[in-house]
Amino acid sequence: MSMFQFFRRKRDLSEEMECHLKMATADRVARGESPAEARRAAMREFGNLPLIAEVTRERWGWLRLERLMQDVRFAARQLRRTPGFTITVLVTLALGIGANAAIFTLVNAVLLKDLPVGDPKTLVHVGNDGHDCCVGHNPARESGNYSNFSTDTYEQLKKNVPEFEELAAMQAGWGYRPIIARRDGALAARSVMSEFVSGNYFRTFGLNPSAGRLLMDSDDRRGAPATAVMSYATWQHDFGGDAAVVGSTFWVNTKPVTVVGVAPRGFFGDRMASSPPEFYLPIETMPDLANASYVHNPEVNWLYVIGRVKPGVAPGMLQEKVNAVLRQAFATQSNFSTENGKKLLPRVHATLTPGGSGIQTLQEDYGAHLHLLMWISGLVLVIACANIANLLLVRGMGRRTEMSIRTALGAMRGRIVRQLLTESILLAGVGGLLGLGLAYAGARMLLLLAFPGAQNIPIGAKPSLEVIGFALALSMLTGLLFGVAPAWILAQAKPADALRSGARTTAAGTSLLQRTLVVLQAALSLVLLVGAGLFTQSLNKLQNMDLKLDARNRYIVHINPQAAGYSQTQLEALYRTMEDRFMAVPGVVKVGLSTYAPMEDMRWNDWVSIQGQPKAQGFAGFVKVNGDYFDSVGTKMVMGRGIDIRDTSTAPAVTVVNQAFVKQFLEGKNPIGQRIGQPNMPGDFEIVGVVENTVYTDVKLKDASMYFVPLMQRAASDKGPIEQDLSLYTGTMVLETARPMNDMEKIAQRTLAGISPNLTVVRFQTFGEQITEQFTEQRLIARLTMLFGALALLLATIGLYGVTAYSVERRTPEIGIRMALGAERSGVMAMVMRGALIQTALGLAIGIPVAIGCVRYVKALLYEITSADAQVMAEAIIALAVAACIAGIVPARRATSIDPAKALRTE
Amino acid sequence: MATKSTYQNRIELLQGTLDMLILKTLQWGTQHGYGISQAIRATSGEVLQVETGSLYPALHRLERQGWVTAEWKQSDSNQRAKFYKITKLGKEQLASDYERWGKMVATIEGIMTARRGNA
Repeated sequence: MSMFQFFRRKRDLSEEMECHLKMATADRVARGESPAEARRAAMREFGNLPLIAEVTRERWGWLRLERLMQDVRFAARQLRRTPGFTITVLVTLALGIGANAAIFTLVNAVLLKDLPVGDPKTLVHVGNDGHDCCVGHNPARESGNYSNFSTDTYEQLKKNVPEFEELAAMQAGWGYRPIIARRDGALAARSVMSEFVSGNYFRTFGLNPSAGRLLMDSDDRRGAPATAVMSYATWQHDFGGDAAVVGSTFWVNTKPVTVVGVAPRGFFGDRMASSPPEFYLPIETMPDLANASYVHNPEVNWLYVIGRVKPGVAPGMLQEKVNAVLRQAFATQSNFSTENGKKLLPRVHATLTPGGSGIQTLQEDYGAHLHLLMWISGLVLVIACANIANLLLVRGMGRRTEMSIRTALGAMRGRIVRQLLTESILLAGVGGLLGLGLAYAGARMLLLLAFPGAQNIPIGAKPSLEVIGFALALSMLTGLLFGVAPAWILAQAKPADALRSGARTTAAGTSLLQRTLVVLQAALSLVLLVGAGLFTQSLNKLQNMDLKLDARNRYIVHINPQAAGYSQTQLEALYRTMEDRFMAVPGVVKVGLSTYAPMEDMRWNDWVSIQGQPKAQGFAGFVKVNGDYFDSVGTKMVMGRGIDIRDTSTAPAVTVVNQAFVKQFLEGKNPIGQRIGQPNMPGDFEIVGVVENTVYTDVKLKDASMYFVPLMQRAASDKGPIEQDLSLYTGTMVLETARPMNDMEKIAQRTLAGISPNLTVVRFQTFGEQITEQFTEQRLIARLTMLFGALALLLATIGLYGVTAYSVERRTPEIGIRMALGAERSGVMAMVMRGALIQTALGLAIGIPVAIGCVRYVKALLYEITSADAQVMAEAIIALAVAACIAGIVPARRATSIDPAKALRTE
Repeated sequence: MATKSTYQNRIELLQGTLDMLILKTLQWGTQHGYGISQAIRATSGEVLQVETGSLYPALHRLERQGWVTAEWKQSDSNQRAKFYKITKLGKEQLASDYERWGKMVATIEGIMTARRGNA
């Protein structure tokens, strides 16, 4: 029977019984009774009409649903009658559930979802480390664990492990990914992100093109015409979905490339990143387009490998086979031909992991943060639930009479509990829906904070089905959580209570539950406040660190002369031109050129040694710079001289080192005049100066050794052709101006375009922006923990206020008696405050050890903080104490203004 | 007039019997709910006063099982009422119910008139 039929039959039944009543009345009237009397008698004789109707309807088998509908309608009516309560609860719930859903949106997209590819479950990643990056020779490792491979190793895997149905390779790092692309016929070139992949990349992922075709094996052969696949987002945003794009020519790094098709909608590559590739190019085009020399070098590792396994292959056997092939491939590499290398060769392996969600670099970076955020938002929701439970209890106290009467009239306890729970769940459901709206806004804000300035983040803020499901499930759970206890307590109401006035029989149990909840809230709030304090402290430490640079009036312009088509022999003239043109711009004081700048997401490392001291060897960071560079970034000279015009490509090779370098390699001896270089050629560079320890890449590397070499100089021992020396290319220009210039970006674009139309600005930032970008994560976490801590504190304060106010109201007669017997107003106030403060103190007693204990879980996310120090604890405790006082003061004052005579009359 | 105390309104006890009485009443002609209760009352000489709390659930159960059908018609007093009519299935059920009733009566009679200490 459908709903419609049900309601129709229900109406019919009412009509049938009404008709029965009419006839009975008519008969009585015919016998001589008055119409009113007849009606009353007929009704009495009929009996309990609604009950009979219900029992009759029971025969139809729809009772359960009908009862539910009844409960829901009744609940809605009750809630509408107390708008203040309802709105408070809905707002609290919307905030709590919304925050959780917002964070879940991120967690789902980043940690839970698979790549949008065909059949992700059968994909396998050969390797388990998304940070084994990016281009270099694999050293012999103790762990023997590798995830980064050379082209040669990849080929061997493809050939010798037929258990892989398909095996694809893709760039591990970000080198040469930025390309300059200009459509044939267009005037302006753009700097875009690309990725070099193997020919079977798309086939391995089981994808179909949205236009044209995808890359094939034939595209990835030496000598094949250069082809590329465009991403769907780029096709739509930049070319309006123009079908003519397919088959058109693009000038990539000034070389012609045919765009053969468009990737499927929603595909963003093999890993989640803030700037997904806009073009996919075959690996074999890399030497030509990017002049990358390592593509065919069997010793240079630069590829991640993902494959699809044939059905029915045993994972253990596959792992063994992969390991064997790797050992064979590595055996020929020079790092494994040494004694140590040979010893560690048997340990070589690559752990096969599920590849359905791609390379896990971002997940490894953000995973811990996301977990932390989920825990924090979960705790806030628990606090919110405690508040709502308290509110429900108080409201329930007011309905005690109603409950008693209902029990007296025969309602089963279970029925009452069910009805109260329906109320809770209805509230939770509506709160959850509101929360979804908040979740969308919250997720957008989170994405903006976490990935500032990124355009095509593959994470959507719109609530997906999983998020909606999560929000609804969470609402139901919270509804049960905060509804069960009050419902149970209220349903214990004894029928006789309704007849007794001023009864407080169930109050004792309620009061204990309320106070327990408040203590719990206080404890949790303290934990969250301490957390917020710690993260803020960590952020402050980072931001206030002396990075030994000067960011005032400095602008960073990222360029790509290699992609613009300049060969190494043209660079010296180019750099001179750039320096001259930019110095000619009014307001520009210094023009610095370097491989990369401080606090940038890039670093080059070299293994160096000191001439004459074979034992002094180690890693040092390495930057090639021009003369103005140190001034333009604000690095101070400490000893000797900097780099100047006498350091041309033909002059003797010199280097400037930082203080950490002197400390690490020279143990404080005078460095000027010493020579450094690669271990087999230690005399390449002469140290002419020492600079301060400006921080590069990451604050954690603030004491790392670095050495700086003039841009065009090469190691004397480097006899390789200049065309293969990639270190001569700069990526960064640092401009210092006399005063802030807001149009610097346009000026830079114009000036560069004046030199060559292919010299585009890859990225433009102020130096300050670049630095703060390195702290994005920490800032995000600090802000969010502060927000949640404040929210928790607010909720706990409201909770404490509510409970205290209620207890004052309940104890009004007692207070009246006390005051009538001569108690001072201040004594009464003290009594009320004492109650509030005791609960807070209990909360602190529980919260402090918990907070101290929890620090160890977040230590990894903090900078140089190992325990909750006294200052943070004190601040949190004071915040909570002040909040408790505020929460207690208002009811306390109200208590003192109780008129004893009126109080005694309250019954 | 017999008082109500002689009549026990327990749905469980009377369920089968009530069904039988209703079907019998309907065998005499289609009738609405009020009419059925009045008819049983009259035929039993005011002894059996079927309470509506038993009557209507029974009627709807009978309808569900297909022993009666219902139709909305105009009653004598020009009121719209739901009239019940016995079906062929209902007639068969009535016959078997009556037979069972007879057996039940005989069995209970047998117990009530049995002598103690029968060997």
